[in-house]
Amino acid sequence: MFNYFKNSFNFSAFNSSLKANKFKPIFEELNQKYPKGSDPWGLNIRKSIKSLEKIYPFYKHYFKVRVLGKENVEDKAYMVVSNHTGQIAIDGMLISTAFVLEVFPPRILRPMAERFITSIPFIGSWAAQGGAVLGDRQNCINLLKKGQSILVFPEGVKGIAKSTKDYYKLQNFTKGFYRICAKLGVEILPVSVVGAEEFFPYVYQAKYLANIIGIPALPISANFIPLPSPVDIHIGKPIRIPQKISHDSSDAEITKEVKKIENAIEEMLKEGLKKRRPFFANQNLKDK
Amino acid sequence: MVDLKNINNILLIGMAGGLAQLTANLITIKHPHIKILGVDSRKPTTDLDKNNIEFRRMRYTRGNFEKVFREYKFDLVLHLGRMSHANNDNASLIKRLDLNLMGTSRILDLALKHNVKKVIILSTYHVYGALHDNPVFIDENHPLRASIRCPELRDVVEMDQICTNWMWKNKNEIETIVLRPCSIIGPQIRNTMSQYLTTPYAPLPVDFNPMFQFLHEFDMGQVLMESISKVPTGIYNVAPDDVISLKDARRKTEVPSIPVPIFMLEQAAKVIKFIWSFPDYFINYIKFSCIIDNNALKKHIGDDFFRFNARESLELLKMD
Repeated sequence: MFNYFKNSFNFSAFNSSLKANKFKPIFEELNQKYPKGSDPWGLNIRKSIKSLEKIYPFYKHYFKVRVLGKENVEDKAYMVVSNHTGQIAIDGMLISTAFVLEVFPPRILRPMAERFITSIPFIGSWAAQGGAVLGDRQNCINLLKKGQSILVFPEGVKGIAKSTKDYYKLQNFTKGFYRICAKLGVEILPVSVVGAEEFFPYVYQAKYLANIIGIPALPISANFIPLPSPVDIHIGKPIRIPQKISHDSSDAEITKEVKKIENAIEEMLKEGLKKRRPFFANQNLKDK
Repeated sequence: MVDLKNINNILLIGMAGGLAQLTANLITIKHPHIKILGVDSRKPTTDLDKNNIEFRRMRYTRGNFEKVFREYKFDLVLHLGRMSHANNDNASLIKRLDLNLMGTSRILDLALKHNVKKVIILSTYHVYGALHDNPVFIDENHPLRASIRCPELRDVVEMDQICTNWMWKNKNEIETIVLRPCSIIGPQIRNTMSQYLTTPYAPLPVDFNPMFQFLHEFDMGQVLMESISKVPTGIYNVAPDDVISLKDARRKTEVPSIPVPIFMLEQAAKVIKFIWSFPDYFINYIKFSCIIDNNALKKHIGDDFFRFNARESLELLKMD
């Protein structure tokens, strides 16, 4: 186990990737896409690029992220819908990094953040500078209209804050994202993340205590720092909204369509779990 | 819609303010046939009487307003006389509530009674409130939530609501416009934001960096003038298209700042107020963004109406 940790973080690679600056063309393209350097939601391209440079060594050498299905992404705005795992939103950060550094053309995804995030000192402004926005319907519509791609986790806190026994079990999706896509005719890009649950492999969710304190979740974990579990990001084929569905369609119709998205991501998860790389903390979970 | 050719007399309330003076000058230069009576309870810093502009210092009582409405036959009322929150003592509070709420009601009733053609009221984007869950962009139909976090802003919200209710109630008798501008800055305006942006060693939050829209005073004056003939009855946000973060704005004005976490600033404010008087709600507005949607107004005045963007406005503020 110790050797695994030692090998998983290669410091020479860490430094060389920064020095080589192989992402210069990508960053130049981002600068061209956002000539003003910022937007009304608080995105700051300069700081975003700095954050990416800091995140990349962890992305590549600590979490060893693999992106599969890049060819499914075209040059247009998507509603990127993913499962949510890992107790803290590292999965969101990794997906966002993948969409800048590994997907063509590069784009800064706009993750929809929980309402309380924006009120946390330092975290709120750091997240906004990196592209995150308050999870609000109006924000989502305005960004999609401006050609920005959105990242949503329709499982919400229920998805990310699971006890070990529930790992990789998809929670019911909320429907708001689907109505927005139906309204604007935006395609849904399903994404599944495999490997993030094992960042914190042994977790108990103290839901009762969380309720008393008034916070959305209170994970009690055996480890405080996320383990270097290898992460696979699977990008599925875009899903179009059927013509018969509008944003005013009944709940029953929307639920049926959302269930299809849920099933598609569940299938991708199952396939992903079969293909995932071995890691000491996922050995007891591999049959799920 | 009112034609400026048919406007002869304008009542401008709040004439001692920089924006009111600028607007009066813009109107009288472009339309020399218009006469403006500017009233204010404050003493002006300069001589305001010019060819077509007359200044009268008076208390905002019903009697005084009745007198001027009887004396002059106003075609238009520009109400820029909302009292700010810079002084927080109890006497100011009573005066402020009387002026902002009762005063505004009196003015509106008199305007209707004396057959004024149009009333333009300057409200503020503060009515929406600076809250962590504000969407970008806030349109005119958004709930006015300022008093949730800042109870002292309740009179600003109430004044806005008095005006909008009155506007819809009397829309067949009189044209009314309520303008909700973003932060107006400029060399002639000494509001809290202009002072904050140009004060050296002012505290700057390190843990929050809200986005801001800044409107140059000249553009605001132009909006007020053009609203007379181009904008129909309704509520309109006023803001340029671009935004800038608070830290970048301070950097642009090239004044040194003292980085302070917000929780410390909230405590330190009690001491700072002995040196620099600023409204309590201001801390909230340098913590969370309140970005307004300008599409409703742009439909009437055009897409490229504003002469200065936020960065240019800040440059001009720095040069002052």
